[in-house]
Parts: sequence; C-alpha cells; structure tokens
Amino acid sequence: MVQLRPRASRAPASASAMVDEGPPASEEEAEHGLLLGQPSSGSAAEPLEEDEEDDELDDEAPEELTFASAQAEAKEEERRVRETVRRDKTLLKEKRKRREELFIEQKKRKLLPDTILDKLTAASQTDLKKSPVKLKEVKLQKKNEECEQGSDSKKAKVRKVQTVGQNKSYLALRLKDQDLRDSRQQAAKAFIQNCLYGPGTNRTTVNKFLSLDNKRLPVKKAAAQFLNHAWGSQKKQNAKRFKRRWMVRKMKTSKK
Amino acid sequence: MGEFKVHRVRFFNYVPSGIRCVAYNNQSNRLAVSRTDGTVEIYNLSANYFQEKFFPGHESRATEALCWAKGQRLFSAGLNGEIIEYDLQALNVKYAVDAFGGPIWSMAASPSGSQLLVGCEDGSVKLFQITPDKIQFERNFDRQKSRILSLSWHPSGTHIAAGSIDYISVFDVKSGSAIHKMLVDRQYMGVSKRKCIIWGVAFLSDGTVISVDSAGKVQFWDSATGTLVKNHLIANADVQSIAISDQEDSFVVGTAEGTVFHFQLVSVTSSSSEKQWVRTKPFQHHTHDVRAVAHSPTALISGGTDTHLVIRPLMEKVEVKNYDAALRKITFPHRRLVFCAKKKQLLLFQFAHHLELWRLGSTVATGKHGDTLPLSKNADHLLHLKTKGPENIICSCISPCGSWVAYSTASRFFLYRLNYDHDSVSLQRVSKMPAFLRSALHILFSEDSSKLFVASSQGSLHIIRLLEGSFKHLHTFQPQSGTVESMCLLAVSPDGNWLAASGTSAGVHVYNVKHLKLHCTVPAYNFPVTALAIAPKTNNLVIAHSDQQVFEYSIPDKQYTEWSRTIQKQGFHHLWLQRDTPITHISFHPKRPMHILLHDAYMFCIIDKSLPLPNDKTLLYNPLPPTNESDVIRRRTAHAFKISKIYKPLLFMDLLDEKTLVAVERPLDDIIAQLPPPIKKKKFGT
Repeated sequence: MVQLRPRASRAPASASAMVDEGPPASEEEAEHGLLLGQPSSGSAAEPLEEDEEDDELDDEAPEELTFASAQAEAKEEERRVRETVRRDKTLLKEKRKRREELFIEQKKRKLLPDTILDKLTAASQTDLKKSPVKLKEVKLQKKNEECEQGSDSKKAKVRKVQTVGQNKSYLALRLKDQDLRDSRQQAAKAFIQNCLYGPGTNRTTVNKFLSLDNKRLPVKKAAAQFLNHAWGSQKKQNAKRFKRRWMVRKMKTSKK
Repeated sequence: MGEFKVHRVRFFNYVPSGIRCVAYNNQSNRLAVSRTDGTVEIYNLSANYFQEKFFPGHESRATEALCWAKGQRLFSAGLNGEIIEYDLQALNVKYAVDAFGGPIWSMAASPSGSQLLVGCEDGSVKLFQITPDKIQFERNFDRQKSRILSLSWHPSGTHIAAGSIDYISVFDVKSGSAIHKMLVDRQYMGVSKRKCIIWGVAFLSDGTVISVDSAGKVQFWDSATGTLVKNHLIANADVQSIAISDQEDSFVVGTAEGTVFHFQLVSVTSSSSEKQWVRTKPFQHHTHDVRAVAHSPTALISGGTDTHLVIRPLMEKVEVKNYDAALRKITFPHRRLVFCAKKKQLLLFQFAHHLELWRLGSTVATGKHGDTLPLSKNADHLLHLKTKGPENIICSCISPCGSWVAYSTASRFFLYRLNYDHDSVSLQRVSKMPAFLRSALHILFSEDSSKLFVASSQGSLHIIRLLEGSFKHLHTFQPQSGTVESMCLLAVSPDGNWLAASGTSAGVHVYNVKHLKLHCTVPAYNFPVTALAIAPKTNNLVIAHSDQQVFEYSIPDKQYTEWSRTIQKQGFHHLWLQRDTPITHISFHPKRPMHILLHDAYMFCIIDKSLPLPNDKTLLYNPLPPTNESDVIRRRTAHAFKISKIYKPLLFMDLLDEKTLVAVERPLDDIIAQLPPPIKKKKFGT
C-alpha cells in the first residue's frame, strides 16, 4: 500500500509529463536526496546502539563515576560524533564532485559526435556534388579533423549503433513499473477470486452439483468425476516401477 | 443418405472461457461479449445472432469492463490498467492507453457518447474525452477510499453513481466532488457478512439509483437525499450484474445462483398512475454465476461463468410470434476449431494457447448398421504445440497431407514442418517468415499441400509456395482501394485454380490463382457468410449464410447454378430456416458430385441435388426409414435434405474417404465438469 500512494498521486500528471523531459531530472534530484539522507540516518542509528549498551551495563551493576571522568568521556564522545559528521560530509562532497564530473563528461561525449556527424553529413553531401579531384582534399581535411579530435571516429560508430537501435524492433520498458503493475494485477485477481470463491461464499463442488440431477433420475449413473486420480499417486508410481523391474528380471531369467 | 463408418471423436477437450461482460449497441443491433481470457466477440443480432467478428485474447488482458461509445466505437478496460479501443474494420486493437490508476474495474460511456469514465483499483474515477482518433485524459474525480467496482451515468450527464465496497457515492460531474455517500448494510439474513461489494449500479433519470450487491440485495436509493427507498432481497448469493432498458421501465439483474430476474415498473392499481418496481419474472437458464447482463429493446441478454450466452426475447415486446421470439443459447464459437488431414487421418485441435495433433484410431472389426465397433488401435496424441508469448491463437490449419502446420497469433505467424517416423513426430519450425506475414485471420493449404493461402489482417491475401522445408512468396492480392475490410473466410478449389475469399459483410471474391487476378465477385447478400467451399470438378462455389440460406455459384460461368435458382424460387423449408446455429463447414463427396455435405452444431446434412426439394408440408427431419417399408412410400417421402441429428453438439464433421466420416463432438457435461464450482443450492429430495 505504501508503494501505491506516490504513484497514484503522480499518475494524472505523468500522462502529460511523459512528453517533456521533466521526469529524468526529477529522478536525479531524488537520488541526491537519498544520498543526503543516508549519513543523517546513520548518525541517528548510532545513539540507539549506545543506549542498548547502557542498558546492558545497567543490568550488571551500577558503577561509580567521577564528574571529571564523565565530562571527559562526554567531550570525547561529542568530538567523535562531530568528526564522523565532518568526514561524512567530505565524502559526500567528493562523491558529488565525481558525479558532476561524470555528467559533464557524458554531456561532452553526447555533444561531440553530433557535431562531427553534422560535419560528416555536410561533407558527404558536398562530396557528391564536388568533382573527384576535390574529393581528396576533403579526405585530407577529414584526416586532419580526425587527428585533431583523437578517437572521435569510434564514438561516431557508437552513436550510429544507437540510432539503429532506436528502430521500432523492440519496446523499452522500465522493469520497476512492470513489476508494480504485475503485483497490482495479481492483487486485483486475488481480490476477485476471494470475493467469488473465497471462504464464506457457499460454493459446492462440480461433482456434487452434477450429482443433484443424477440423484433424482430413475436410472442412476456414475459420478462425473468418479475417480480421484490424485489419490495414492506415489503408490501407483512405485507399483509401476516395481512391475517394470519385475518384467525385466523375468525376461532375463527366461533367456537363461 | 448412404452408409458410413463414423469416427465418433470425443477427446477434443475444449472448454470455452466464461463470459465476463456484455454490451449491447442499439444503433447497429450488435452485441459485444468479452470473455475471461480477454477475447472480445461481436454478435450481429439482426443477422440471426451470428458471431461475425472476434478479437483474440491476451493473457495479461483480463477484461473487466466493455462499452460502446460515440455510436460504433468499442472500448474495453481490464485489470492491467489499460483502456483499449478495437478497430472493428481491421479486426485488431487500435491502441491501448494506460489510465494510471491501477487495475480498472468499471467503465461507462456518457449518454452523449463523448466521454468515458473509468473506475480504478486505487479509488479514483477518471474522466476521458473521446476524440475522433483517440481518447484523452481530462480529469480525476474526488478519490474514494476503496476500489470503484461499478459506475453509471445519470441520463442527463450531470451526475454519476459509483459503487464501491460497502458504499455508493454520487458525484457531480461538473465539480467532480462526491455529493452523497450512501452506506450499504452488510447484514445478510441477520448475519453480518464480511463486506458488501456493490457489483452494479444504475442511475435513472428521476434520480433513483439502483444497486445490486454481494449480500443478495437489489436496493433503490434516492440520490437527492441519499436515503434508501426500497429493498428487495432476491438471492442467497451475490447479485452480480444489472442492466436497464432505454425506456427505464424494466431492468434485469443476474445472480451467482444462475438466476436472472426481470423487474418492471408496474401501476399499483389498474386505474392509478402511481407506479412501482415489481419483480416479475425469474429465469433459470444458467447453472453458474451470471457475471453480465444486457437489456435490448426486445430481449434480456445474459452471460456468465458457464460460458453460455443466453438471449431471452420478451414476449410482450415481440410483435410477431415467430421463431425469432424463441430463446437462444450460444455456447460454441461460430468458427472452426478442428482441422483434418484426410490422407493421414489426423485431426488438429485449436485451443486458446496450444494446438493438439491426434491420429485417429482404427478398427478391424465389422458390424451391421448401428453397431459400435471396438477399437483395435486407440487414438494417438501425437503432438502438443504450445504458443510462445501471451497472445491467443487466432487461427490454425493443417495441410491435407499432414506435413505442414501453421498458426497465427495477433502479432506472429508460425509455420512448422512435420516429419512422421512410425509413431513419433518430429517438428521443425520454418524460420524467417517474411515481414508482411505478421498476423493472419485465416490460413488455408491447397489440396496438394504445395501452396499456402493467408488472409492477413490488412485485407490482403498472400499466396506462398511451400517447398521442402522452405517457402517462396508468390503473390499478394491487395484489397480493392477504399475498402479496409479484412477477409476472414477462405476456400480453395481442389484443382488449386480458384480461391474464394469472403469478408465480414461484402460479397465473396473469387480469384484466379493461375493468372493471379480477380476473376469475379459474387453479388453481395445481406447476411454474413458462415462457410465456403468449392466443389471438385464442377468448380461450383457453395456459400452458406447466417440466415441458413445456401447458394451455389458456378465459378467458370460466373452465375448462380440452375439448382440454386430453383431452390431460391421455391424457398427453403421453414424448419430449415429456423435452425439457430450457423453452418460452419461444407464438404463434398469425391464419388457423388450431386451431394453437398454440411453441418452445424446440432445436425449433419447431406443435400442430394438430384432429389426433389421439400415443400413446407413434407417432413424435413425424416427419421431413418424402417427397412420393411415399401419402396413406394420411401420414394414419395424422399427429398433432397437428408438430416442426421445423432451427433451433438457437433464441432466438426468431414468425410475422410468415400465410406468414412469423422465427427467431433463436445458433450456439455464434460464442459461443466471443468468449470469453476457453482453456488450450493438445496434441492428437495436429494
């Protein structure tokens, strides 16, 4: 039920929101939020553990403590907590920094091939128009470009593969949504099954139902499901195996 | 009639799936029926209740609601949370829109037909606007606490009633807020039941809301004050469905006990104008739950878990008391599910998600007429072919030589090559089917198994040459420009020169396979075609229509044959025209060119064209003549229609060779034995 709520509230809006590029951005934000939340929750958990330790001490025996020692201990504790918080913060900062760098790099990666592709398409169009003499020049230019921009040609290839993949040969789905939908469908099916055939619905069995007519017929027939094939299945199997072995043994002895 | 050795096949373990919803369209007099496996069928009530179209089911598409909107547009919604519109011309799903509210339980089109309302699992009621080519989300109504299981519009379109668990809410459409919440009593015969589920609501124009619930009550509420006006306790079990007539003078409810009750608005005394709702007639045509009911102007329509669709005409609404006023019970689909490879004596059975291949048994014993011969070799179950993916099989076919099997789902076409090795069968899939062969509505192999004819859903016909383990696309007959109608019945002549194809309403087209062009079109007839076949040698096309008319059309001469003209002039026997199941298969005797063999679900008939036609005074269903009868009387009573009613319900019957018939029966008791359990009822004396 907890899973149902946020989705439902978002549901009507998402129909329109799916069109623009809002959702991915919001997801990123959500991830950041989660990252921020982690250390705080961790620090909240620590005092709890200490409480438990205290409880255990209480159980054993009350120990005498001087004020000074207690104060020192408390200060030490405070210092430790502050340090951990600071450490966490720096770690988080570093992580965020790395992430940001990654994003920038990704953006660069995304941007570069496009420009090159544009150039390339422009070049190829001009190729067709230009005379073969000029072609060499263009090629030389291209080579220069490649030298300048390093391994861009590889990236262009990658990009191409992506565009081919965008064909409608498959459908991209978020597995998370599908799981949620399936589980809801299962729940709905279970609900209807329980309503119609669950306990307290006063259902009979098919066999009994068919026997109603049979009971009042002048000529009595066997029940529709006269045999319950589920009974003694293990025993039947054992008997079958035994019979086969017995047959084999008998064949062997007769041959001798 | 001739004597035949008959294979009486009863191992076709076919169970139709239960009916979940029915929706009646007054404008076109059509009935849409959805089943628990997601199949949607369309019956044409003015064409003798013929099932003229169907949309194959899908495993994840459990349909919970079905409705017509904007005239002829059909929508369904189900537990996967999607609203689906069907394309009634191309016979496929037009689009599916996610409502984003979890599983959908109910749907209702506004009285004007321009808006669609769905009730979801999360308690939201969503309003959709129907645009010419799609539907568009408009807004949400106030969210309720639990799932919305039923919905109904006020005829003016200003208010709606929504049934949930334990209460009914009345919404104002303009503001979208709930104005009343009417709590339903959970008490059931003095015992508190678990929860009271409102299975159906109906909103009348005077503001009355009628509700049916799981405690067995039919209740009348005043929507202005939100109070209970009247209460009918009608069943010991759930009341699961309600439908109201357009005039609002009668309605029908269906219960889990299988009873259908008719309520009518009747004057209190003969002179006063004061009227009240009275329960008038109970009908017990079902054995299991009645999950859906509909009310046409002249009939009550009900369907349920026991898979029967029952159409009960109302006697006071019927003007002419003819056979149309009789009860109709439709159980089996009006299309073929059994295919036969005559040379190898194989039967192919089509189920929703798999195919079964059986080899018929044989006997060495002989006997006299009417004897049951013992089998010397039992029937063999050779193959069980499961489909890939969640879609149901639309159609399938086995080639006459038995070495090819083809079937199609809504998105894929499969062709298999079978190799027989004594008692074992090996299966090899023919891969790399061309892209245009994505889904088929009908598949047919030519008599010599060298060609495959496929009627695709885009209206085109493909001809494919089959080679050993591969195939070659020969030709495609494109549909005539301007028509989008898809072909759903095919027939090929035994010499392989002619191909006849019929759509859902237009006439039958005959193609010349040799020259690959359209040869002629049989004049269109008002009623849809139910079966087609081309006779050997003469190349006469025999067409059966849903109103039980049979035509014979000579393809080489491009005109109706003399026999066909005579029988049209004289007219069929009145009992022949009153049969209520369509003819589903036509075949011919290889040695007797004057015979036409045809069957429907309850009879098998051989038409002997050489004998005189029966008139209305003669006995149509002649019992088998006693042997001691004199020749003179026999000759006097003999007429062209030889009818046998021994085998029923008959799903398939065909000639294996000159002296052997195969009949596939499906007894109703075997189907009931596999249905979900019914409600327990106490019967006196048991």
